[in-house]
Amino acid sequence: MAQDSVLSDELLHHLMAVGHVDVLVGVPTLNNAGTIRPVVKAVHQAFARYFPRDRSVLINSDGGSDDGTPSLVRNASADDTETVTVSHSLRTVHRISTPYHGVPGKGNALRQIMTAAELIQARAVAVLNADVTGITPEGVAALIRPVRDQQFDYVAPVYQRHPLEGPLVTQLVRPLMRAAYGWQVRDPVAPEFGCSHRFVSHCLEQDVWDTELGRVGIDLWVTAEALAKGFRCCQTGLNPHPATPTRTPFGELFAQVVDSAFACLERHAPYWLGRNGAEPMPLVSPPPTVAVEPPVVNGTRLTEAFALDVENLRSVLQDILSAETLANLEALAEKQPARLRYPDPLWASTVYQFLLAYRGGVMRREHIVQALAPLYLGRTGSFLRQYATSPEPVVDEALENLCREFERSKPDLVRRWNRV
Amino acid sequence: MAQMIANAIRQAGTNFVDSLSVFLPRMVTTLAIIIVGWLIAMLLRTMVRAVAGWLRINVAAERFGVAPLLKTADLAPADVLLGAIVFWLVWLGFLLSGIDVLGFTSLQGLLASFWAFVPRLLLAVVILIIGFVVANFAWRATLLAAVNGHVPSPRLLSGAVRWLILILTGAMALEQIAVARTVVLTAFAIAFGALSLAVAIAFGIGGGGIAKRILEHQFPEQPRSSADEISHL
Amino acid sequence: MSSPLPKPASDPQPLWFKDAVTYQLHVKTFADSNGDGIGDFKGLSSKLDYLADLGVTCLWLLPMYPSPFRDDGYDIADYYSIHPSYGTLDDFREFLDAAHARRLRVVTELMLNHTSDQHAWFKEARSSRDNPRRDWYVWSDTDDRYRNVRIIFVDIERSNWAWDPESKAYYWHRFFSHQPDLNYDNPAVREEMWNVMHFWLGLGVDGFQVDAVPYLIERENTSCEGLPETHAVIKFLRSQLDAHFPDRMLLAEANQPPELVRSYFGEGDEFHMAFHFPLMTRMFMAVRLEDRKPLVEVIERTPEIPESCQWGIFLRNHDELTLEMVTDVERAYMIDEYARDPASRIYLGIRRRLAPLLDGDRRRIELMNAMLMSMPGSPIIYYGDEIGMGDNIYLGDRNGVRTPMQWNGGWNAGFSTTDPERLAQPLISNPLFGYQAVNVESQKRADHSLLNWMRKLIAVRQSSLVFSRGQTTFLKPANHRVLAYLRTLGKEQVLCVCNLSSSAQAVELDLESLAGALPIEMFGRSLFPRIGELPYMLTLGPYAFFWFKLRRF
Repeated sequence: MAQDSVLSDELLHHLMAVGHVDVLVGVPTLNNAGTIRPVVKAVHQAFARYFPRDRSVLINSDGGSDDGTPSLVRNASADDTETVTVSHSLRTVHRISTPYHGVPGKGNALRQIMTAAELIQARAVAVLNADVTGITPEGVAALIRPVRDQQFDYVAPVYQRHPLEGPLVTQLVRPLMRAAYGWQVRDPVAPEFGCSHRFVSHCLEQDVWDTELGRVGIDLWVTAEALAKGFRCCQTGLNPHPATPTRTPFGELFAQVVDSAFACLERHAPYWLGRNGAEPMPLVSPPPTVAVEPPVVNGTRLTEAFALDVENLRSVLQDILSAETLANLEALAEKQPARLRYPDPLWASTVYQFLLAYRGGVMRREHIVQALAPLYLGRTGSFLRQYATSPEPVVDEALENLCREFERSKPDLVRRWNRV
Repeated sequence: MAQMIANAIRQAGTNFVDSLSVFLPRMVTTLAIIIVGWLIAMLLRTMVRAVAGWLRINVAAERFGVAPLLKTADLAPADVLLGAIVFWLVWLGFLLSGIDVLGFTSLQGLLASFWAFVPRLLLAVVILIIGFVVANFAWRATLLAAVNGHVPSPRLLSGAVRWLILILTGAMALEQIAVARTVVLTAFAIAFGALSLAVAIAFGIGGGGIAKRILEHQFPEQPRSSADEISHL
Repeated sequence: MSSPLPKPASDPQPLWFKDAVTYQLHVKTFADSNGDGIGDFKGLSSKLDYLADLGVTCLWLLPMYPSPFRDDGYDIADYYSIHPSYGTLDDFREFLDAAHARRLRVVTELMLNHTSDQHAWFKEARSSRDNPRRDWYVWSDTDDRYRNVRIIFVDIERSNWAWDPESKAYYWHRFFSHQPDLNYDNPAVREEMWNVMHFWLGLGVDGFQVDAVPYLIERENTSCEGLPETHAVIKFLRSQLDAHFPDRMLLAEANQPPELVRSYFGEGDEFHMAFHFPLMTRMFMAVRLEDRKPLVEVIERTPEIPESCQWGIFLRNHDELTLEMVTDVERAYMIDEYARDPASRIYLGIRRRLAPLLDGDRRRIELMNAMLMSMPGSPIIYYGDEIGMGDNIYLGDRNGVRTPMQWNGGWNAGFSTTDPERLAQPLISNPLFGYQAVNVESQKRADHSLLNWMRKLIAVRQSSLVFSRGQTTFLKPANHRVLAYLRTLGKEQVLCVCNLSSSAQAVELDLESLAGALPIEMFGRSLFPRIGELPYMLTLGPYAFFWFKLRRF
């Protein structure tokens, strides 16, 4: 009796019928009835308009939606009245919606999509995010073309966003990944990407799928894996990325992202320990220039709790941070929330020491990550407050400086990493 | 008369020699057992230290917060301590076995109860160790959760959790080794009950607002903290 | 079971054309009996045994009338005679009788729309404005009448009007400027054309393939194609035909989408047959895409036609493979896949034969022929395709697909005894498709040659009327690379399954409605597992096909 495999009989049946394809687009879903139809339509329009001669398929990996998402996918009309006359497809249009086994999560969905892609020899694979509206046929094509036409193995998206948005990425994940892996990737945690058959085969062989990292941090891991294992990577501009209306509360989100980032760094240590500097990553097509509104945020509110949090967590922080760093933090904490300014070097140093503590296992890893959260809020608040009214280029410059600060402190990290 | 004394003395001497002849071999055996026991205990201590080193008990002790406790109590680090415990237990065992050979009946009873006592002692030690670890873990977890959840007085809360667990553990350990059992039990029950009552009163009357906030924290209607007002990704 | 062989013309069977397998040939390039390098009727007569043996039941001849040959014989200079290079009228009569004796019907081509400018009628018409035949053609003093009517030979002609210096007027020509259009608004023209038909029908010809039917009549502010008046002309001719020769056939050449061609059947009172042009293009597309979608779509879009009518289906013919009626995306695809060499493109199509189009791939050639023989309609084979002849895209116009028939590997491929330099068209002589490699004699001797395979294929097709007269229902299995359809005629059922892909395929067919039937493969007569209620699994090799006769017990 076969165990619950990634390849259910139903999916296998579909794949046998579809046969080999040139282009595969995977869309993981879990209760996305509100946003899934435009996604399916955009994909089919992309097939008809930009890849009319390619054998193509859309695979929807569903985690057990109870709002009818799978049937919406199956019944979504591929033809739009305006496109029928302009460019109807030469070939049979294929669309598969299939449930995956295991805990609902991006990891299991992606594993199923990648398994299917590998089996039917898909030359170019794109994975989309069904959570947001605004995906266009051009966006879908942008993820596929570099792989199909220019032999890239991995395509990361670049969204047109205001630099004050997404601080978890801009303040923590991006500088950390950039300094460590030595590549200037703008959005390492992107839920959408394109990749080649070679990359898919490689990912399936890794042992990440049954781990916690595979469950909650697969987006980050995919990017990190592509960088660490020497695949040809590039970036491509996509449409403005609306702020994800995340359903996850901050604490859980922070824990997932940071834990994943640290876990990736631990896994890929042999790669990045020897790497210096940060190469720019080729940008195949720039994002459309659309004026983005600065987000409305009150940096001061985030910093209000900083002082108290530092004091309360002192006994935990002293096990993680050096005496000097802790003293600096306490000095900061004495300032008024409205005047808190968390300097770049201190922040870089904080993050690195947390990373080292994580690696050394001085206490449970969940606790280490949780202890970082209030410090992150303090840093974010201070940054947002400082640059709230600055023009975009100034903010971009500040973020660039932050990245460079992380790069500058990397040798120290490397030294101490080996000693742990 | 002198004859009788001489006989008595001779008899006593013979008895003494007889008992000595019975006692000396036993003495020798005892000594042998004690010495062998000491050697075995030393060996076991070294082995335990080695195994502890291989299992990285020290690192685990650090992680679970046992190590700082040991340091404050001026005890040796975890693996040495473990070795010493094993050494003493084993050697004590041999020692007592050796004495048992000597055949002092009064000591027999002591020995028997000793052997009955050792496993309970071990269990109590284990309970204490587990209790320490759990208390520490709970302390840190509560502290971090409270700080991240913006619950007021996180240190107080986490400290209280830790001490509660430690007291519970201590009581359980004491109960195991059956020291002043009833007294301990009663004292613990009273203390625990009183504490719970006090907390309930304090919370209910003085901390109604906090209770409300904590509940809202669990079932939020709006972003419960400033952190949730912005989108971080 | 008795096979429905065509009865000779003397034994009237009005719907014979529905069951016919037609062989299209050009007398000029088939067989030369007098050594002048040009094929003739005596030569053709000598090859009738070969044709009868192949299994075809009808011959369709390209125009054989006297002609200045500026359009390969489509510019007719005399409707009542045979071109002297091909022989005499007596030669033709002998050929006709010999064909009928072998139960082969003969359909000739009739160009109704225009004549050559060397025709006596036009010479008279242009001599002066008062000539009685003036009105037989379409004249104008200016060239801006019938504006915006499309030009058919876009590469050559720039206008549908040509200036006649003799009578100082413009004359209308939808085709080449040396082919002036007849004026069908003139009843005399109509009468005369019926006389022409009458003449040949009287000799025994079994039918006409009528060229350029949509263009007979012109009216201002129209496309001048398929006008109601044109249909009236056709109805007239047909009514005459029915009155005098009820068992003869009219076949329309109208290169238009099936929805528009439908009108040329009328209500069974116009043409008996018409060509289904888009099917040909889509068969090539489906095999290249390895996807049945284009084929299924075109058949499902084909309108119903009267019971007494039939579609004429074919893979290739004497003209280019037309890409007029496809979308831009489809045309670009076909050009990129089938006509990489720009020399193979002409007008809006590809001037290649069947075998070179399919890269000489025997399996694909078999598959395409099998589809042709089992799709709804009467199949037409182009001469030479039964042995897999090649083409010469460097010859002008569409002459590349009209080269001499390759009978053997010897002198002039057995076509003619003349000097090779004197041949009307050069032979194909490259090592792959040349006459030394591809010829009738060699293939007769090889058991598994394409020729023998085609004979078997035609024989199997003719063993059942279901192919020529049956209904067609498409099964749509999940595997899009497999084309599966059911032909049904009364109680008789044949299941056709084709693998359009170059790799082996497995397919599950939902045959629940046929449960209980036993499939018998028609070529080898092997028994296949009985159909049950569960999906029927078949596996097919690359480009393989099955024809299953379904029997019940």
